[in-house]
This record gives sequence, structure tokens and C-alpha cells, in this order.
Amino acid sequence: MWKEIGDREAGKLRPRLFANRIKSNRVRTLQLSNHKDIVSPHRGSINSLQVDLTEGRYLLSGASDASAAVHDVQRATDFEGGGLIAKHKCIFVTNKQHERGHKYAISSAIWYPVDTGLFVTGSYDHHINVWDTNSTQVVMNFKMPGKVYRTAMSSVATSHMLIAAGTEDVQVRLCDIASGAFAHTLSGHRDGVISVEWSTSSEWVLVTGGCDGAIRFWDIRRAGCFLVLDQSHSQLGRRPPIPERSAANKASTSKSLSRAQQRKLAGGNGTKQSPTARMPTKGSVRQRLHPGLLSSQDRATAHYGAVTGLKLTEDGMYLLSAGSDSRLRLWDVESGCNTLVNFETVRLQTSKPIQLATTQDSAFVFVPCMSAVKAISLSMAFDVWSGKTSLTFRGHYEYVNCCWFSSQEQELYTGGNDRQILVWSPSSLIADELDEEQAQDQDNWSD
Amino acid sequence: MAAMEKREEEGRVRVLIEKATNSTAPEVDPRLLKAIKLVVRYSDSELRLAARTLMALMKRDHSQVRYLTLLIIDELFMRSKLFRTVLVENLDQLLSLSVGFRRNLPLPAPPAVASVLRSKAIEFLEKWNTSFGVHYRQLRLGFDYLKNTLKFQFPNLQAHAARIQQERSERERRSKEILLNKFEMLKENFSSIKEEIKLTIDEIGECLDIVCTKEEFMPPGPLDDEDFVEFRSSELLQIRLNTLKEGGKVHENSENKVVFDVLRELYKLLVTKHLVSVQEWISVLVRVEVADIRFRDSVLKELIDIRNNLISVKKKCEESGCALVTIANHDEEDEDFWEEGKIGSLENGRSAVPDKQNEDISMASTSSELKNRTPEGSNRDCNDNEMLNREDDETDSNPLRGKLLAEAPVMEWGSFLDNWGSSREVLANQRGLELESHWGRVDYNAVIPAEKIAELNVHATLYKEEPTETQPCRAPLRKGGVCQRKDLRVCPFHGPIVPRDDEGKPLNQNPLKDEITLDSRIDLVEQLAKQAVKNVRERDKEVTNKREIDKQSMKRAKLAKIREHNAAVLRDAALASTSRSAAIGQDMEVTNSEKSSARNKKETLSSMLRKKVTSKDRLAQRLLNTRVKDATVRELTSGEDANYREAFPNQW
Repeated sequence: MWKEIGDREAGKLRPRLFANRIKSNRVRTLQLSNHKDIVSPHRGSINSLQVDLTEGRYLLSGASDASAAVHDVQRATDFEGGGLIAKHKCIFVTNKQHERGHKYAISSAIWYPVDTGLFVTGSYDHHINVWDTNSTQVVMNFKMPGKVYRTAMSSVATSHMLIAAGTEDVQVRLCDIASGAFAHTLSGHRDGVISVEWSTSSEWVLVTGGCDGAIRFWDIRRAGCFLVLDQSHSQLGRRPPIPERSAANKASTSKSLSRAQQRKLAGGNGTKQSPTARMPTKGSVRQRLHPGLLSSQDRATAHYGAVTGLKLTEDGMYLLSAGSDSRLRLWDVESGCNTLVNFETVRLQTSKPIQLATTQDSAFVFVPCMSAVKAISLSMAFDVWSGKTSLTFRGHYEYVNCCWFSSQEQELYTGGNDRQILVWSPSSLIADELDEEQAQDQDNWSD
Repeated sequence: MAAMEKREEEGRVRVLIEKATNSTAPEVDPRLLKAIKLVVRYSDSELRLAARTLMALMKRDHSQVRYLTLLIIDELFMRSKLFRTVLVENLDQLLSLSVGFRRNLPLPAPPAVASVLRSKAIEFLEKWNTSFGVHYRQLRLGFDYLKNTLKFQFPNLQAHAARIQQERSERERRSKEILLNKFEMLKENFSSIKEEIKLTIDEIGECLDIVCTKEEFMPPGPLDDEDFVEFRSSELLQIRLNTLKEGGKVHENSENKVVFDVLRELYKLLVTKHLVSVQEWISVLVRVEVADIRFRDSVLKELIDIRNNLISVKKKCEESGCALVTIANHDEEDEDFWEEGKIGSLENGRSAVPDKQNEDISMASTSSELKNRTPEGSNRDCNDNEMLNREDDETDSNPLRGKLLAEAPVMEWGSFLDNWGSSREVLANQRGLELESHWGRVDYNAVIPAEKIAELNVHATLYKEEPTETQPCRAPLRKGGVCQRKDLRVCPFHGPIVPRDDEGKPLNQNPLKDEITLDSRIDLVEQLAKQAVKNVRERDKEVTNKREIDKQSMKRAKLAKIREHNAAVLRDAALASTSRSAAIGQDMEVTNSEKSSARNKKETLSSMLRKKVTSKDRLAQRLLNTRVKDATVRELTSGEDANYREAFPNQW
């Protein structure tokens, strides 16, 4: 570390690179924090966790006792054990007692991405509530056709403020906060939609995963979905270099569109072509096939069983999906191919949606595996992804449902069925305070 | 070679742990435990290995193994930081294996041990949490989960202690309050109480005055100097004086009966009410804590004065001779009289110090020996030195006594001599000082029986060795001079110690030794020295041999004991369980005993798992046996036939 600081001073190392290195080093040393306790006010399993995107300070949690709470993760409310343990009590909690609160379990709680003045909760009582944070009042309410499994808002959106909601219903609905009405109804899934994610690169692209095992990509400016991921379409390692014709600075959406249609053809032919062999087809074909998809393509599945979790990497290039078949898959968003990363055997919870998290540079994916959380490294070596488990976080006594990585402080928050919210922080923090700790916690060999 | 040894060394903790957990005892063998601790203490790698081994043992499908493992874990956990750090990583696993809170992972077989294991694990978790919870989030999490989510009942030792403490303080506070209330009451009523007591005392005084004045009118006894002459000895004089004194007392008669009645009543009031209440007040005042100390002290002083006054009045009453005491003390007096007679009979040859009460009378009875002395002291308290003189005279006069004295052990002087030979009961609570009542009421009539007193006065003496002068050997040495070694009987270099002259020649030797020349004597000396060295060596060897033999025999005895125990267990098992296990037992008996004992030892853990078959099972098995069933059916039908034949004999 001192060498890196020296390099940084000498100008050998770019500031950003330096910061990233420090961050990734810290991530490698994550462990259960003894100095930060989040006192969970929930009396049910915690289904959703999110730190706000603007300040990185307020942790929003939704639990199955119909309560949602906000914690300040930076400033502790009180201390215990001689200042050793910082207790973070919730700033406020909304529960069933609230006159317009949810009646049943909250499955999803997300911040309004622009500021912390609003947050959105989706619940099994078929409602999506939009809350004013400061007054903790419901300012808007959407009635959905079934249980709400997951809600999502785009973090890059500048021209819309839509809540995408995956429900029991086959249709994905987009709720417009500006108008208080459904803006879109996206149909294509054949079963309920468990996971919903907005693209991190384009504000128009929405990814949904359903109980039917399909992962669909939607461009909300057009009708229908433009891509259905197929687990049998695969590429090993990196995507081949983009041909000359598709310029590097081309808009990603159109790129993906064209790619999708290319692949559609390939799927229709039934022959498995190597990516390099796949050549761009004529524009007329693309016209003919859009907006509907070939039926075989339309029926493609990404997982056997439901798709329980989706996570797009920070750069929007890759999509990580978890299914009830206990598989993790990494998809190349551009080509729509399964990258065939060999993830070490993990066992995933099958009955509930799970919330995955990635580090900022996507070197690690945090996956709730039953009662532990595993950090799976996604490093590229010789053009092949490795899916090795590098860290296992054991601390929960029951299944873990959700995790959230705060890239600002390099801290991981996890919530599980045992009603606890645990904080996992880099150990270097602890090393600073080791001296005073040793005063009390020492060997005691009396004989 | 060295590497191999090292590896062996490294595996030692694993062997030790496995040995320690392979037992059916409810505790870990303390010696093994100590060994484990010793090994682990100085090596981190051993500690890690121990942690791994212990976790592996926790997964064993046997509650007893898990239980013993848990005990070892606790020992190490409370001591080593590294062990704690390693262990808390897998705390959830450890807890699920020891508490068995996961439904799909219940605790394994012997259910009795399993429940002990669970309760112990919960207790340990609580202990760990209170001691180290601050440093380990995992501990806090585990504790919190078991307590708040699964609602396990923790023994809650700390809270328990706190509660007891609180209860005690509460009680103290309450008693203090009561005291304070009493004090307040006293404050209010003090003057009236004082008044009342004063009134009683005054009345008693008046009564006594009346009695005394009456006495004065009575003709005084013929107590004059001339009378002394009539008495030949002081003893007789004493008796006379006593009778005079007795006569001086006022006796109750029809005239002063009223006064006596009043006096008696007042006395009763004084003793039963005032004295008791004053004592009580004093104790309250002593115990109470108030801000107004000055008031308290003044009241206390006053009360003590009052009490002293009361006691003196009481004494006066008793002295006044009114028959107040007779009711209470009648029996006592009888006893006294009886004792007098006894002392009189025992009088000869005993240096008995008579009881204080009966001093005069006993002296009177022993006065026969004093007849040769002139009656010098006319005053009644003839003193101790007189008694001593008397004893001296006795030694001269009485030969039997002298003989006895010659035989008697010499005792050191001590206070116990005061009560030598007396077989009197002692009042336990009357020591002259009357301050005992701080701790509550005292039974003033409690007595310590005479035999107890005798027991208490049993005198222990220490045996003192008489210092003896050991003579030097004084055998002549080759370099000149004499040996200065001091031995009791035999000098290791010069043989037995005999009296010698200044040159070292023995004084009275038998002629055989005299014949030995000087040279040969020197040879002999050398020989003797050699012999002595040899002797010492031999003795050492013998001692070691003996020790070894002892050790072996002890070991053998232990083995025999174990074998015997195993056999007994086996027999018990055979008796208690089924024919199946009994058959096993028979098999074992057939094989030679050593083998069977070894097998037994191995099977102790598994035998815990073996299900005991009850008589019910045996019956069921018996009934289900087809052959038996057939036989039973046959028997039953034939029985029926017989019945039928009996019932209808004419049809056959």
C-alpha cells in the first residue's frame, strides 16, 4: 500500500487507478464487522436492502412483516462496550400501524434514484407505495394485478421516472410517478415476473426474469421485447472484436438490437455458429422480423425454473442471473450469449427472489447462497472468466435473501430470514483499533 | 528422521483430544485436558489443529463425544484468543451441532446425554457472550438468534445474581425502615416510658423501705463479739454468720403479706416488661441509622442508665429476701444442697476447688484437717493462700495423698484449673457483662452441661523430645586426631560407637578386638568404609526396586479393577437387556477375558447407543414367533377339547 502511495505521488499511478486498487484491496478483506451493528427493527425476514444512490448513507430495508426502515450507516446513534460497538438504530420505520402502510410483506424497497426524498415499496398486498421520506407519508399508490415481487427504477434515467414492477401477473408494468398511472404494460412472459432490472447503460432498456425461466430485454420505446436469452447460445470468454462496420461509438441500444436480430436468425437456422462466423444480415430481414420474434426464439429459456435474481454489472456489459435451478449465469449483454462461466457449485434459495450485488469494477459478485453469502470473483484470466468463490461470509443463521454493496465505503450489507441486517466491512478498519481491543481480549492461560 | 518426529509431535494434540473424547465419563479426564492445554499453549499450529479436530469431532454422530468435545472447546475458548477467532468463524455450525436448533439436524443418539449437551451449550454460549461478546459479533449474533428468534431459555446467571442482590438490598432497606419507625416512636414516647419506669422503681423502693423498716423493729440477732468465742473455728463461725444473715432476712408473714404481694407484682412487671423493653430499645438504638446522632446517643445513654438502675433494683429485690425468687429458684437450691453432700463425701484426697456458692460450707466440711491451726481469721472470706497452706499440710499428713501426688501428672497452670474436678453445669449466657443483647434476645438460663464442660477442658499437651547429647565417634584417624563425626549408634566409617579414651582406644573392648594390630585396624577401617558405601548403594537399589515393584503392582491392581468393572458392567447389561445382548455377553465370556475387556473398552461408546430391549419387546417377539404361535393354538384347541369332553362326557 505504501508503495502504491509512493507511485501515486510520483505520478506513476493515475489517481483513479490508485483509488480502484485500494478499493479492491479492501474488498478482498471484507469480514463481519464487530464495530458496526445495525439494529434491525424488523420482525420478519428482510427481503430487500438498498443504500441510497446519491449520498451512499441511508440504508433502506424492506421486510416481510410489512415494515420498511431507514438506517444511517455513517453516523451511529449510540455506542456500546466502551465505544467499541457502534449501534445504528433506524431513523424511522413504517409498518402495519401506519394508516396507509402495507398489509402484507414488503418484497421490494428502493430509493428514488435522484434524491433521498422518495422511496418506493412493493408488497404482497398488490400495492406499490411511493413514500415521502421526510414526512413518512404515502404520496402515491399503485394497485397492481397481483403480488409485487420486485420493483426497479433506472439509475441513469434522465427523461422518465418509471417504476418497473414484476408481479404475479405475466405482464410487466411500468408505473409513472409523474402521472400516477401505468405508462406501459409489457407482455411476453408466460408466468409471474420475479426479477426486474433496468440497464445501467441505457435508460430505455429493461431486463426482466420470470418464473418461466426466461430473461427478456425490453426497449420501452418500442413494442415487445427485443431479446430473449437462451442458455444454449454460448460463447467462451470474451466477445469477438466488433467488426469494422459497427462503429465503436454506436449507440448501444441499436447495437444490441442488431445483434439480437442476427442471433435470431441463427436460432432460426438451428445451427450453432461460432460468433466469428456470424455475419451481419441484410436490413430487409431485420425489418421483416421486427417487432415480433420467431416463436422458437421467443420460447428460449435462460434457466430451468424461475429466474430468481438479476444483476447488471456497473458498466452494463454483462448480466448475471440466478435461477431456481441453483445456477448462476453470466450473459454477455451485447451478444446475448451465455458466457459459460463455470461458477463453483453453489446452492441457491429457490422459493424467493434473491438480490445479488457486484462491486463497482465487477471483480466480485456477492451471491446469497442459503445461509451464507459468497463473494465470487469474476476475474478474467486468459480470456476465460473464472467463477471461483473467494470469500464466504457466514454469519446469518437462516437463509439470506438480499445483499447490497456500498461502493463508497466498500461495505456489504446483507439481510436474511433471521431478521438481522449484517454489515461486512474491510478488516483494515479493525486493524486500526486493534490496540485498544487487545487490552481486554487476550489469552488467558491460567494453567 | 527429525522431520518425522516433528510431524509426530504435531499430531499429538489430535491424539490427545481423541483420547479425551473417547470416554463415557461425564467429565473430561483432567490430566488429558491439562496435557491438551499444555500442548496447545505453546504452538499456534497445534491450536489450529486442535480447533479443526474439535470441529470434526463435533460432527460425530454421538452425543457423548460431542459433549466431551464441547467441554474441551469451552476450556480452550476461555483461554486462547486465537482459538476464539478460529472458532467464531464457524460458530453457527458449532451451535447447530451442540444446541441442535436446526430441525433437519437434531442431536444424535443417547437422548439423556443430548439434553445435557444442549443445556451445557446454551450455558457456555451465554458465558462466552458475557465475557467476549464485545469482541466477537458472531457471538452476539448467535446469542441473539437463540434468545430472541428461537426463544431458548438461557440460565441467565448474571441477571439471577443481580436479582438476588436486589432482593437482599430490598430486605435491608425494609428492616432499616422498620427500625427507623421504631426510633421515631421511641422519640415520641420516650418521656412517657421513662416516667412509667421511674414510677415502678419508686414504688418498689417504697415497698422495700416498708419491708426494711419493719425489719428494724424486729429484734436484731445476737451478733456480738462475745459470741465469737463460742465458736471454735472460723467454719463454725461462718455457719453461724450465714444463719444470722438468713435470719436477718425479712420473712413473709400475715402482716406484710400485702406489701410482699405488691412487691412481687412490681418485680414481675419490672422483669418481664420494663427490662425487656429497655433492652429492646437499646438494641434498636444501636442498630438504627439516623441523621440526628446526638439525640440518639443521649437517648441511648439514658436508656443504659435506666437499665442499670433497673438491674440494681432487681438485685435489691432479690436480695431483700422476699420470696420472689423462690418460685423460680427452688429447684436450683435443692440441687445445691445435694451437691454439698457430694462434695463432702469426696473431700478426702482431692484438691477440689469448691464452687463459689458453696465455698463456705465445703470449707466447713473439710475443716477437720485444719484443726491444728489456730482460728486466725474471723472474717468470713478466708482466702486462697489459706487453702494452699492447707494443701501443703496435707501432703505431710496424708501418705496416700502423697503417693497419689507423686503419680499425678504435672499440669501447666491454666484457667481450666479453676473448674478442676467440678461437675457443675455452667450458665452459658451470664458472663458478668450484660452486653449480649445486641444480637437479639438471649436466653439467660441456657446452660452448658457438665460433660460438655469437661470435654471443653480436655487439655492437650505436646510431647517434647528431651535433648540428648550425641557423642562423637572419636575413632583414631590415619592422619592423626580422632573422628569428630556424631552418629547415634554406628559411625559409617568406624563402626559402632563405643566409649574411647583420648587417643581413640576403646575403653572396654573384648580381647578379640584388642588383638588386632594397628595396621589391620586401618585395613579394617578401609574395609568398613567400603562396606558402608556398598551398604548405602545396596539400600538405594533396593529402594528403587521396591518402588518399581510397587508401581507395577499398582498398575496391575488398576488393570484388574478395570477388568472387574468391565465384567460387572457386562453382567449388568446382560441382566438388564435382552436375550440378544445376553447372548453377546455369553460369547464374550467364552473368549478369554483380556480380549473381551479390550472389546468392552472399545464398545463403551457404541454401547451407549444400543437400544435397551424391554420385556414388552421380548414378549412381542415371542408372540410373533410362528412356531410358538402354532404351539399355543394347538394347546388352546386341545384344552378346548378337554373342556368339551368334560362337559359332555356322555357324547364320547
